[in-house]
Amino acid sequence: MQFYLPVAEMSANIFIFIAMGGAVGFLSGLFGVGGGFLMTPLLIFSGIPPAVAVGTEAAQIVASSVSGALAQWRRRNIDITMGLVLLAGGIVGSFFGVELVGVLRRLGQFEFFVSACYVTFLGVIGTLMMIESVNTIRKIRGGMVVGMRRSGQHNWIHGLPLKMRFQRSKLYISAIPPFLLGLFVGLLAAIMGVGGGFIMVPAMIYLLRVPTNVVVGTSLFQIVFLTAVTTILQARLNYTVDVVLAVLLMMGGVIGAQFGVAAGERLKGEQLRFLLAGLVLLVGLRFAWQLIAEPRDLYSLSPGGA
Amino acid sequence: MRTGLVRAAVLGVTVVLAATFLLLAAGEGASQGQPPQRKKAPAPVAKEATQGTPQEVKREQQPGARESVQADVSARTVSVTSSFNGTEIVIFGAVDNSQQPSAESGYYDVVIVVEGVPGRVVARRKNNVAGLWLNTSSATFDAVPSYYAVASTRPLDEIASEEFRASHGIGFQHLRLTPAFGQAQALSTEDLKEFRSAVIRLKQKEGLYVQDPYSVAFIGRSLFRSAIELPANVTVGPFTTRVFLFREEKLLSQYSVRLTLEREGLERYLHSFAFGYPTLYGFMTVAIAVAAGLLASTVFRKPAH
Repeated sequence: MQFYLPVAEMSANIFIFIAMGGAVGFLSGLFGVGGGFLMTPLLIFSGIPPAVAVGTEAAQIVASSVSGALAQWRRRNIDITMGLVLLAGGIVGSFFGVELVGVLRRLGQFEFFVSACYVTFLGVIGTLMMIESVNTIRKIRGGMVVGMRRSGQHNWIHGLPLKMRFQRSKLYISAIPPFLLGLFVGLLAAIMGVGGGFIMVPAMIYLLRVPTNVVVGTSLFQIVFLTAVTTILQARLNYTVDVVLAVLLMMGGVIGAQFGVAAGERLKGEQLRFLLAGLVLLVGLRFAWQLIAEPRDLYSLSPGGA
Repeated sequence: MRTGLVRAAVLGVTVVLAATFLLLAAGEGASQGQPPQRKKAPAPVAKEATQGTPQEVKREQQPGARESVQADVSARTVSVTSSFNGTEIVIFGAVDNSQQPSAESGYYDVVIVVEGVPGRVVARRKNNVAGLWLNTSSATFDAVPSYYAVASTRPLDEIASEEFRASHGIGFQHLRLTPAFGQAQALSTEDLKEFRSAVIRLKQKEGLYVQDPYSVAFIGRSLFRSAIELPANVTVGPFTTRVFLFREEKLLSQYSVRLTLEREGLERYLHSFAFGYPTLYGFMTVAIAVAAGLLASTVFRKPAH
């Protein structure tokens, strides 16, 4: 069944997009990630204008993270203070990101920039995750007991001013690093059409040394609000949110995620991380290929703004 | 107590949604004064308005001067609804005082030009920079028709002179794509030519520029028709249709008729919402997303142990 998308201004087969939402929802439930880094590329490769894909995906991430955030809230796994500081930075970052999307679109460099971001971040994160998971799997095979290490050692972050107490994280650190982290992730969220959990979670663990049990909840908490703000900004400034497309993706996504969560419970953490790393690297490679391979047509058209 | 929290959240979202729609409805009511051309397609403008009745024409036996052409389209207003997936427009017309012995005789030639809204288009060219392909040069063109179709009874160069086609913008090579004032970078004439042909080629690939030299057919001595495909990716707006009647490279008569593509129903509602009230639209999208997420988590929630 075809449906004419009001903002993307194209006729789309609704079942394809529901299925796409379902597949990505399944994977995001399985791995406990937002799925933005999978969905946005899929949308772009299926012919949705990149800017609309990025804007619309922000809305779909709201839907897929809100239930997760609520579940974490019930389990008291959210450090609200930390979440708010991250969010404050995130909103500032998102605002600049949305502006930057507009500027890059006018310059004709948006697609290149998005591809380059995907290659860089997916490449780095995928590689790190791959190494870590392979090491863990090897150690477990070797019969070692692996525990998440949490060293109390101080690093440069502890020398910064504006110290705040983050009760649930049991931290007393400067507000500047979480604010900057939030800003950076907000910027990326707006440009790449992702929630940014894949950067937020490792950064919180390794840079801010937030306890792991609080990390996922706090990250989800800030993602819900950040992507909500990004959606509104994209709609307001770039007119690139397609509500029909968003609803199609949500329909598939929320259902797929439930099955993904169930499937994920049967796999071990390091196996999941290994699979996720492979997936992340594949998407990154797909983007790299697009940058390196000679395009079929050197020319492209875009409507010229005033 | 937990279900109470969820219920409260769902209720809250529902209230927000309802309020949004109410606000919207009020907004829609207030903005009823839409641009005038959206409502009705204007009446066809006959270029050769003065013409005698058939009897008068027969009395003055001056061959070639009497014929005139009239035409219309199958739908003056095409609705772009949510189920829009491209459409076919039939353009039909008649030659008044046709001297043509039969439909197959090829006595007259007809050229039909359908043009969409002109707009600004930026063409970009990728170049390999240190192993990466990125857009390095661009050309901006003004007044590029969003859609352009030429249908005729025979190849255009057999119907009308080069000068005529150039002055009337008939055929791809005579499309007036004017380079915009103040280009991003200086472009040579060679470059501009390449960008120009790239615009036409890419538009053709999208099915938006069509040239079909045998698609106008005479059905009788005076009646002719042609079908033109409007693809799903066509830009909404007014279209002009020009019909030219030729006899041995001489223009006998010309006629033009407008047709309009309009958004209708839900499609129109959502589009005008997204572009007219973008902030509210953003909030509504977020509200829908939150509602969908909460709904899913309540429906699929594991039963309490």
